[in-house]
Amino acid sequence: MFTELNSILNITPDNFKQGEFVLISDRHTDGSFLIHHFLSFYLRARCKVCFLGLVQSFSHYCAVSQRLGVSLVQAKEKGQLIFLEGLKESLSVLIPKEPNTGSQALDFLRDPSAGLRSLYEFVRASVSHTGGVEGVEGVEGGVEEWGPPVLLVDDLSVLLSLGVSVGAALDFSHYCRATVCSQLQGSMVMLVRCEAEEEEDDGDEEGPERLLKGLTHQCSLTLQVQGLPTGYCRDIHGQVEVCWRNRHGNGQQMQKKLFQYKVHDKSASFFARGTSSAVL
Amino acid sequence: MLPEILQGTVGGGFVLIQDSSNYSGRQLLKSFIHAALTREEVVHVLGFEVSEEELKDGLNESSMQRLHFHNAYIDPLGWTESPHFTVHQFSMEQLTSLFKQTQQTKPFTLVIDSLSWILRHISTPVVCESLQQLKKGGAVRAVIGLLHSDMHQRGLVGSVCHLATSVITVRPGLRGDGAVAKTTKRSKTGKVTQDEEIFSIKEDLTVTVQGKPSQPGTTQTELEEPEADPTANLTFNLRLSDKEREAKEKLALPFVFSKEKKTALLHTGPGSGRILYEPDANDDYDQEDPDDDLDV
Repeated sequence: MFTELNSILNITPDNFKQGEFVLISDRHTDGSFLIHHFLSFYLRARCKVCFLGLVQSFSHYCAVSQRLGVSLVQAKEKGQLIFLEGLKESLSVLIPKEPNTGSQALDFLRDPSAGLRSLYEFVRASVSHTGGVEGVEGVEGGVEEWGPPVLLVDDLSVLLSLGVSVGAALDFSHYCRATVCSQLQGSMVMLVRCEAEEEEDDGDEEGPERLLKGLTHQCSLTLQVQGLPTGYCRDIHGQVEVCWRNRHGNGQQMQKKLFQYKVHDKSASFFARGTSSAVL
Repeated sequence: MLPEILQGTVGGGFVLIQDSSNYSGRQLLKSFIHAALTREEVVHVLGFEVSEEELKDGLNESSMQRLHFHNAYIDPLGWTESPHFTVHQFSMEQLTSLFKQTQQTKPFTLVIDSLSWILRHISTPVVCESLQQLKKGGAVRAVIGLLHSDMHQRGLVGSVCHLATSVITVRPGLRGDGAVAKTTKRSKTGKVTQDEEIFSIKEDLTVTVQGKPSQPGTTQTELEEPEADPTANLTFNLRLSDKEREAKEKLALPFVFSKEKKTALLHTGPGSGRILYEPDANDDYDQEDPDDDLDV
């Protein structure tokens, strides 16, 4: 959890807006540090978290979170965290050892054209009821109460590489938003990776660019992480544009702020452009 | 022209609001709903993109019984057990039976939020046909649709635009909270009028037009900051006064031959050398070519 980012977004684990859909996009650089931030943030906020980790293994997320001061193993044991390990699960779908083992969540791998309904069912089951934790209530003698549900996806554009169409991915995120953000008043964070080259704005490309546009229409806050246009720099890792999209109609429609950042070992610093400690 | 379309004085038809990810047209769409409700009209909303609460947020409480929200947001594809309205029900027959459920006989305004959602799942000709029928249909007074134009191919956007009687394209303004709306209106006689206006939407969803954006040429010069004059503080003089210019122009440059100079230099007076040749009869004038023997 990066406290500097919290103050920029004006949130704390005790006090944050519910029903938010945060969209993180990265281009020319790696924006996954923000996913780790939100994961540790919502775990500290005592939310029930459903994490779709499609890019890395559980131990990777675990190791990063450990540095940020949150234990994923404990959270998982307590039933606070439901973790879908895409790398492992996909293997059991593609090379089934025993019939009917593992979840149905990644059934789309067999037939990507069928859509992501099964993945949505998994999300809905994980966030909607507390029944999934009954088995581990022995820890403190009772089921712990968790706050509003949170869905984190790292990252959605991987689905495109697995053969899912942009439309299906947008349908999935729509359903998740309707369930998590509107019905259950929870929050949602999704990461989308864009290709390094900016594509021609034809409107007919079936790629992450179109997915990003579609999600931008849905979300309430975007964090666009970009590499520096001038190239790699040791002291500034990139810039992030924070954009609040007003969905509840008052005054200004959109508010934008641009920061440069540097990711440290256990934290990240954000500063206005040109005010890096290396420059001043 | 935006206020006239908003007030519905341009009678019925199909109003299309086009937006992009830079600027959401939903706020303008809500202004249209607000305007229709204040005119004591019945409004049906096909809501795909935002929840009922979010759409009704900011609208006048007292007119809520005239607003019918058809919830296609929660389950637009019928993935759960009890869908209210799915995207595949978007056809004239299904919609008519849906509207009949409310038992309102008055003509009403239909708001579609958004057409992008429908166009992603139903083929364009089918959608266009349904829209055309809705436009003509007696029960529907007007259709107002939102379209995220950057989500579709240009040809698709074009064909939907052709159906519309008015197309409003919104984009963010250059500064402040104003946005720019480009309006194209087709009247029944076939006359097409275009207009561009800067507008802003207040909290009570009223739209105020702040004026017209200046022409592209003038906006450019406006944007450009007055550049600092590099010749302002020079140690030497770059400019000429009139007197200096006169003097400069008077000066004759060397190696440029004026008439005076030429006559002065190439003076041809009497007594200067001249060759006069008068051929004599005895002159040995060779008829043959003297260079005949040369091999040239």
